Amino acid sequence: MAEPLVDIVARSIYISLAAALIAFTFGALISLLMLVTPRRLSEMLIGVFDALVGAPTVVVGLIVYMLIYPGGPLGFLKLLYTPTALIVSQALVALPIVVTLLYRYFEQLWSDVKELVLSLGAPAGKVYPLILRESPPALIAVYLIAFSRAIGALGAVMVVGGGIEGLTNVVTTAIALEVLLGNYEYALALGGILVVLTVGLSVVARAIGGLVWR
Amino acid sequence: MEVRLEDVWFSYDGRRYVLKSINMEIKGGGLHVVMGPNGSGKTTLLKILSLIYKPTRGSVIVDGRSYWDLGPAERDLVRHHIVYVHDKPILLRGDVWYNVSLGLKLRGFNNYDYLEELIKRYGLSELLKSSSRSLSAGQRRLVSVIRVLALKPRVLVLDEPFNYLDSSRVKILLEDIIAMAESSLVVIATHYVVRELRDNAVKMYELVEGSLRG
Repeated sequence: MAEPLVDIVARSIYISLAAALIAFTFGALISLLMLVTPRRLSEMLIGVFDALVGAPTVVVGLIVYMLIYPGGPLGFLKLLYTPTALIVSQALVALPIVVTLLYRYFEQLWSDVKELVLSLGAPAGKVYPLILRESPPALIAVYLIAFSRAIGALGAVMVVGGGIEGLTNVVTTAIALEVLLGNYEYALALGGILVVLTVGLSVVARAIGGLVWR
Repeated sequence: MEVRLEDVWFSYDGRRYVLKSINMEIKGGGLHVVMGPNGSGKTTLLKILSLIYKPTRGSVIVDGRSYWDLGPAERDLVRHHIVYVHDKPILLRGDVWYNVSLGLKLRGFNNYDYLEELIKRYGLSELLKSSSRSLSAGQRRLVSVIRVLALKPRVLVLDEPFNYLDSSRVKILLEDIIAMAESSLVVIATHYVVRELRDNAVKMYELVEGSLRG
């Protein structure tokens, strides 16, 4: 008997929310650090992150697997086939898009706000509170995009999680499993939920992004 | 107040100079007009004069002191007297009142009487609660001009201030600029040199391919 749908969805949301939070936190730090590194280096790095946005998630999963399998350098942590492994791999999948979006956003915002403050003859230190005031809607939108990217990452979670019922079975792995078992209606229901979640979040992200200028 | 550019060169990419050996002196009061075709370097020149951009080579001397050799606190004090209106207005998230009063707020002023007078004169009263995002190009221009005029600066630098304005607003702005030039230094870059500017200018400059012809 298949695992209750609500359990799978709840697990997926919890794991992806955590993964998006980690990706967002590290992505924000990386993008802020890139803003203060020499321009040539930051342009090179952003090129790398741009390329990684489209990296196959199964490869990300494979890299995490190689790190955490019992014989791997982090094998002693015993993370393989645990929700933590899913969170880590989903966070890595979402990280590049968070970095590229936040870097471009902060770069433009910093430039605009700095010019505005200086042009008004105000102290340079006034740039920081204005950036804090401007940022929240865009930051929330980027977090939701990270969540959307994380929850749809099948390859990575399949490799490091294995889709174990009651433990690491999330919507994407459940769909793959149910298709293999011929439970197409159940798979379609799960697919519908996944689409509603990702499309719904994209709509929310766009709406919040639109608030940037309000 | 005196601002002097000594052998100023500027490059955005470290290879091609958009300004070449600029020598320019503005002091006391009066209207200075910088003309030149698109791409001649007018905006860059004005941002250097306004202490927003640091020249790649050369010095910016303000009241006898090299501005870019000063410490951050001294720079803030000097820049307090010089304001700049962008060619492309920078407005922040929020309503028109927030944006139009931003200069006064950032500089710690809490007397809005003159600002309110300007708002009425330029016909922006009806728009004060509108989102900055909903404004037309001309309205955005007015917000950026008014918030700077309200500061009553000693040096006012305006980059193409008449773009997108209707003829009645151009007339009001010309009157304000000419009145302000009686006590302050006003520098305008424009391709729209009307008779009133020509008649009232103490000096006209022509910028051609990054070089100044006074």
